[in-house]
Amino acid sequence: MSEQTIEEVTGEALLEPLPDDVDPGQGRTVFSAWHLVLLPLALVMVIPLVWMVVTSFETLNETRQFPPVLVPGSIRWQNYRDVLEQAPFARWFLNTLFVTVAVVIGNLVFCSLAGYAFARLKFFGRDVVFLLVLATLMIPFQVIMIPTFLIVRQLGLIDTLGALIVPNLAGAFGIFLLRQFFRTLPIELEEAARIDGASRLGILFKIVLPLSGPALATLAVITFMWTWNDFLWPLVTIYSSNNMTLQLGLTTFQGAHQSNTHLLMAATMMSMLPLLLLFFVAQRWFIRGIATTGLKG
Amino acid sequence: MNARRILQSEHVVGWAFAFPAVLLIVVFGIVPIVWSALMSFQRTNLLSTPEWIGLDNYRALSKDPLFKTSAIHAVIYAALFVPLSVGGGLFAAIALNRRVVGIRFYRIAVFVPVVASTIATAIMFLWLFDPYFGLANWALEKVGLGPFGFFTSPNGALYSIVVMTVWGWIGFNAIIYLAALQGVPQELLEAASIDGAKSWSIFRNVTLPLLGPATLFLVVFTSINAIQLFDEVYFLTGGGPGTATYVPVFYLFQLAFQQGIAGYAAAIAYVLLIVIMILTAIQLWVGKRMVYYAS
Amino acid sequence: MGQVVFEHVNKVFPGGTVAIDDLSLEVPDGQFMILVGPSGCGKTTALRCVAGLEKPTSGTIRVGDRVVNDVTPRDRDIAMVFQNYALYPHMTVYKNLAFGLRQRKTDKAEIDRRVASVSTMLGLDDLLKRRPAQLSGGQRQRVAMGRALVREPSAFLLDEPLSNLDAKLRVQMRAELKRLHTRLGITTVYVTHDQVEAMTLGDRIAVMSSGKLQQLGPPQELYDEPTNLFVAGFIGSPPMNLIRGRADGGRVTAGDLTFERSEVADGDVAVGIRPETVVQQSDGLPSFEFLVDVVEPLGDEVVVHGSTAGTTVETGAEEEELPTMLEGSRAPITARFDPGVRFHPGDRLRLGVRPDRLHLFDLRTGAAIR
Repeated sequence: MSEQTIEEVTGEALLEPLPDDVDPGQGRTVFSAWHLVLLPLALVMVIPLVWMVVTSFETLNETRQFPPVLVPGSIRWQNYRDVLEQAPFARWFLNTLFVTVAVVIGNLVFCSLAGYAFARLKFFGRDVVFLLVLATLMIPFQVIMIPTFLIVRQLGLIDTLGALIVPNLAGAFGIFLLRQFFRTLPIELEEAARIDGASRLGILFKIVLPLSGPALATLAVITFMWTWNDFLWPLVTIYSSNNMTLQLGLTTFQGAHQSNTHLLMAATMMSMLPLLLLFFVAQRWFIRGIATTGLKG
Repeated sequence: MNARRILQSEHVVGWAFAFPAVLLIVVFGIVPIVWSALMSFQRTNLLSTPEWIGLDNYRALSKDPLFKTSAIHAVIYAALFVPLSVGGGLFAAIALNRRVVGIRFYRIAVFVPVVASTIATAIMFLWLFDPYFGLANWALEKVGLGPFGFFTSPNGALYSIVVMTVWGWIGFNAIIYLAALQGVPQELLEAASIDGAKSWSIFRNVTLPLLGPATLFLVVFTSINAIQLFDEVYFLTGGGPGTATYVPVFYLFQLAFQQGIAGYAAAIAYVLLIVIMILTAIQLWVGKRMVYYAS
Repeated sequence: MGQVVFEHVNKVFPGGTVAIDDLSLEVPDGQFMILVGPSGCGKTTALRCVAGLEKPTSGTIRVGDRVVNDVTPRDRDIAMVFQNYALYPHMTVYKNLAFGLRQRKTDKAEIDRRVASVSTMLGLDDLLKRRPAQLSGGQRQRVAMGRALVREPSAFLLDEPLSNLDAKLRVQMRAELKRLHTRLGITTVYVTHDQVEAMTLGDRIAVMSSGKLQQLGPPQELYDEPTNLFVAGFIGSPPMNLIRGRADGGRVTAGDLTFERSEVADGDVAVGIRPETVVQQSDGLPSFEFLVDVVEPLGDEVVVHGSTAGTTVETGAEEEELPTMLEGSRAPITARFDPGVRFHPGDRLRLGVRPDRLHLFDLRTGAAIR
């Protein structure tokens, strides 16, 4: 796939119907044999989620039945309230939100600056440093996990949200993504601005970034998802219940409420809501972000 | 050469812009990489002073039965996970690449699981696969199979994890394949049809080869992910029952953060890294031989 | 044997666009037919209908003796050259050429024979082991043609195959194509938007506009006797000059020009003047005043752009509206002269034209008046 193809293929394209096969069809087929394939496929993908939601509305008794109760007697919103009471769920939620937003903003700001520098500015050691940055993309987290833990401990951030935020404020992925994108913008725009007297910072903020909406949105959305869903690093650095993020909190919740399946489902559902909402609102950026990951490979 | 000129020089500006991000990456990326390597030659428990022991950790690794077990599990897991999730992604992408009423909803349905975290997915499947009250056993019973222990079964736990993670990743792979499928120029398919190829032949001779780069990427990407399996094991099985689902990263985690044997853990991490680098090198090598981008 | 026939073919796209409007056209076996017209005129759609890549909304398409409306592309015994060549990027040139034959289970010896013969004919012998990415534009074009020829089809369809080549290569390939057609004699339908290409290549030309067939005939006939304003404005470069006029009792007045044309009904007309039919001396000939604007010496001729009194007429064949910098109400006129004339911007003179070489069109219908 050429770089250009990916730029053209926004997530929206992947969500729209495509032209037919070669054989000219009769326009939109109302019933096509493909439904027989698509429907089971979609069901399989959706059932675990749906089942989770259904269970989250059941009573404890209803969950302890076999065959399972497929339609709950009533919609028990109570479950959701119970979760909030029986665990510092609201706290976990706010922690996760805070960390995620901080990391997203950090990435947007720092990766824009660095991405622009690597894309357009000539400075001593630029190419070597960029290669180093790229190299870190290849390294799996487990390799750096232990020393990073030690560094964070040195900084006194263990068991604070700072441990989750600081190391992730800028990532190689964002730098790479934005650098590649900036390079596709016509350089004449920036040259014209320079002739007009703008400073580099001004060019970045007034010309380059406004044109970079798609790339920034993609980075924001993907970073949001990764940070929100991160489990291993919070597991390693956070101990107190009050400082936990949702993923970590869910595991302790499950430990404490093993047989309260209905509450566990409600808790899981609540933890997924923001991402689900974001996904539905910003589908095309998610999809674009994922398709771009493929390009990077 | 006054101060202002220097400050405005591209070198300074460039460094100023790049500095925050680069600093973060050096401190939390490069330094740990090097430190980890050093650590793998030490004996340390993360509290007292480390002790240099040369290659002892690596020697011990090669004889460690628990590591062997975890490595075998990683291989089995990858051998199942990679073909199933990549093949499944391709299958889903082909099905989703149709002009059919409601295709938007089908696509969303397939993509949504990508958003679910490993823990959320694990919880959903924990419930789905509940040995006593789970939907899965209920459905299996209807066709005369089961009941199964799934995550509690010594023989079935690893495979249950395979099923769960394939579910979680098909959407991601389908997106990549769908983008690749759309990258195949319509004209090529038309030319093949005029040349006399039937649907299957067009797919096999034109589409599939052009999906080569995407396939290669996905195989390597999912392999790397497979080797790094952790969250699900930690949460669902703790490596068990027994050591049925023991995997390298779980072992690593236990060693470093529960048993305080960090040097040894770092050695494991580096072995994993080397395996990953070999896989990536293969990608680059095969990729060079497969340069046929539709132009 | 290999004739291609359109019978009252209509094509309407979902959404209402009429791409083809009642097209009836016959390409006899062995003929080189060109479909030409501006973009959007329906020519490519018509070609794709023959190929089977589009289905007509109504009407019949025949290839050979049979109706092919419901026949899939692969069974129509046609071959197509696409504008972007559509070569299989992952296959060598040899495999590209052999692909169609392999699909039809031709035996290996026959495949080798045919590929070798076509490859020699098109000069591809040294390139057989290369991949498309390693070829130049011209080489790729020849491979695309080879792939079509190797199948020895009944009909040969080409969709603007030369438009991606640079000018010099284009001229070369035009000659190649003509030579190939003479040699092989396959029925050919060729689509282009370039009227120069159409004039030089075709046995017969079908001019299309807005989905309708405007005129069908050999190149010279289209040039000398256009049936309507569109064809008049489309064929010929520089295009025909047109001035709005009025016919009254056998006498036609257009701007400054007056001439007799008996048997012409009274009404509004457009008068057409081919650039090369004007002369400087105007004794005895109908004439009009001409104000010189731009002089272009081309070596073998001189093209002079200027204007005359009157209003011009739009034919629908204009590519784009260029704002003219003419003052007042004047009609632009382009004239061609032999080298040696001395004109300067600002010169005012009278140009004459033979009345039998003037074209007349009914202004309301656009049709030519003979």
